[in-house]
Amino acid sequence: MAAMFSQNPVMNGPNYSFSDAPRTANGEFREHRFNPYSDNGGSTLAIAGADFTIVAGDTRSTSGYSINSRYTPKVFKIGGTTSSQDDATILLSVVGFAADGEALRDRLDAICKIYRYRHGKPMSVTACAKRLSTILYQKRFFPYYVHAILGGLDEEGKGAVFSYDPVGSYEREQCRAGGAAASLITPFLDNQVNFKNQYVPGSGTGHDLKEREVVPLVRRDAEILVKDAFDGAVERHIEVGDGLQMMTITKDGIEEVLLPLKRD
Amino acid sequence: MAGFDFTNYNRNAALHARGVPLPKATSTGTTIVGCIFDGGVVIAADTRATSGPIVADKNCEKLHYIAPQIWCAGAGTAADTEFTTAIISSNLELHALSTGRKPRVVTCMTMLKQHLFRYQGHIGAYLVVAGVDPTGVHLFTVHAHGSTDKLPYVTMGSGSLAAMSVFESQWKPNLGRDDAVKLCSDAILSGIFNDLGSGSNVDVAVITADKTELKRGFVRPNERSAKLKSYAFPKGTTAVLNEKIISKNDIGRYVSVTEVSVGEEAMEIDA
Amino acid sequence: MEFTTTGMLNEDGIHVDMDRLKKGEVNLGTSIMAVTFKDGVILGADSRTTTGAYIANRVTDKLTRVHDTIWCCRSGSAADTQAVADIVQYQLGLYATRNGKNPTTQTAASIFQEICYANKDRLSAGLIIAGWDERHGGQVYSIPLGGSLHKQAYAIGGSGSTYIYGYCDAHWREGMEEAEAVDFVKGALREAIKWDGSSGGVIRMVVLTEQGADRHLYLPDTDYKVRHY
Repeated sequence: MAAMFSQNPVMNGPNYSFSDAPRTANGEFREHRFNPYSDNGGSTLAIAGADFTIVAGDTRSTSGYSINSRYTPKVFKIGGTTSSQDDATILLSVVGFAADGEALRDRLDAICKIYRYRHGKPMSVTACAKRLSTILYQKRFFPYYVHAILGGLDEEGKGAVFSYDPVGSYEREQCRAGGAAASLITPFLDNQVNFKNQYVPGSGTGHDLKEREVVPLVRRDAEILVKDAFDGAVERHIEVGDGLQMMTITKDGIEEVLLPLKRD
Repeated sequence: MAGFDFTNYNRNAALHARGVPLPKATSTGTTIVGCIFDGGVVIAADTRATSGPIVADKNCEKLHYIAPQIWCAGAGTAADTEFTTAIISSNLELHALSTGRKPRVVTCMTMLKQHLFRYQGHIGAYLVVAGVDPTGVHLFTVHAHGSTDKLPYVTMGSGSLAAMSVFESQWKPNLGRDDAVKLCSDAILSGIFNDLGSGSNVDVAVITADKTELKRGFVRPNERSAKLKSYAFPKGTTAVLNEKIISKNDIGRYVSVTEVSVGEEAMEIDA
Repeated sequence: MEFTTTGMLNEDGIHVDMDRLKKGEVNLGTSIMAVTFKDGVILGADSRTTTGAYIANRVTDKLTRVHDTIWCCRSGSAADTQAVADIVQYQLGLYATRNGKNPTTQTAASIFQEICYANKDRLSAGLIIAGWDERHGGQVYSIPLGGSLHKQAYAIGGSGSTYIYGYCDAHWREGMEEAEAVDFVKGALREAIKWDGSSGGVIRMVVLTEQGADRHLYLPDTDYKVRHY
């Protein structure tokens, strides 16, 4: 085994040989691999309304039991004319592996900017949604390790939320939670946005009971749900906390607010 | 009949070899500390218990009773810290009864280390042992493998590095009681805010020659924020698919029913 | 709980998975030594205890009393060496009360060896036993990992010892005066601490003579020059 560390072929000393490659106690080759992925925790959430879309995420970045940063945004404006993104109309949230998230955001932003330059108009959110899917699938065998959510207003001015798996499968939805606390937030959203398991009192007995009618939320109510969802997630998930970044798209543009979350 | 039951060991080993994951124990990914002062000793702990990344208990107790003047702070596997301290507390009391003397902290520490060493680290209890006995004030750490240390200030658990940074920058010899309590609680707070395995409140115990003071919730810097709206549902929101009514008289045939006055201690209900 | 194979027999010999011993354990990645001199023996050690890269204790006492003038230097697993030392301390205490006289260093070393050899597959303990007794004066014994026993004029051990074989060989002299021996131990441990990342903190010494045990403490603050009792 000592042979493999010799760096002296000139002196005709022993050199690396594949038959000398390190093996485990069981006789298999011992692989020394670099793990290119890590999990930076955090959670995201998007809700589509009748004429608005909210995309939100906490601002904590973690690795293991450590906090890398208490303010690392996960929600980004996409496709503005300049780097300030003042006139952007699309939001992207990414959660999972932060480095891949930022790389994905940069790719999508560049593509949207080129589109705007070539066509003289911003990309529609539906077109951007399809393009994001292809970007993700192009890396099918070395994926962007992220759960992406795209938000904007569609051609009719209605709120639109698109959610993706890491390799580009996507779907338009009313609402979606992503990241570490997705499993904690999703049932809350099912119940409070889509009124799942809610029936109209006195509308029948047993299976005849009528489900509560689903109506689009007003903006203020949706914002309250987002804040309460994250306050709940912070209580029970250790990787969520510090700050809540909430961006709302309306026909007038994008508004951003930063609210405090618990820091323990 | 004493000790652990190993009857399922081979079955579990076979299952594990076939890829069945082991059950996840509740871990007190914790910050615990201890510090000696003139005339006594302080120990402190956070109150978060975790199961993976999920908070299993927001306000658990990590300060364990051993004897009136000997207390333990526990980190590691929650069940192991609880049962290990309980069994040593029990044995120490029997020992005190048979010798007719007050239990000593070194005795407690030795019993703990011998118990943990026997199990070669499989009992995942990491403890800070503190107390006052006729021989003086004592503070020890005991690791799961059975090694011990004796120091004027100690930290353990996943937040031990954050807490130790407070001690290493602010500790000085000949601390007063209040200074020691403040230093310990600051060390725990450092763990609460900088270590994800630690959180919620600070529990403190102060042990002196004449008494032990347990301050549960000494600092509460993480109260839950108020919900922005009420999530109370109108009565009848949940579908009832079928129902069967058993009267109190009928159920009395299967179990004994005792009337309890209502309203004395209302159940805690989320608004 | 784990269900892993920790060792196996191949055609080229026995392979033992040493990682098992280290997982999460508190280690005395150490520099220890003991030397004989004119009137007795001197034991010396650094004071660093580590768990991985973290220093769990920076003022550890690795010089452990097993009888009035028989002490040991501990290296390897903190838990294992403490357990072994506790057993030997008990055995020697029992020996002294039963026989009405103090045990010899050789007896102590023999008990240590018995335990280390019988449990060689379970222990990671590297020990140096040094003591003074009326029959033989100062003696030094070394018990490395496998549980063998070596009587030596001086012994060094722990991860830091690899850096000071040359120093000790060059500076060692038979029958030194106490002050000379203290300087020799101190000089050697200074080098070990300087070059070995797993060693550090203060230098502790115990001088064992007919007069009993005398403790020395040297702090890095004063460049190990001043003796702080």
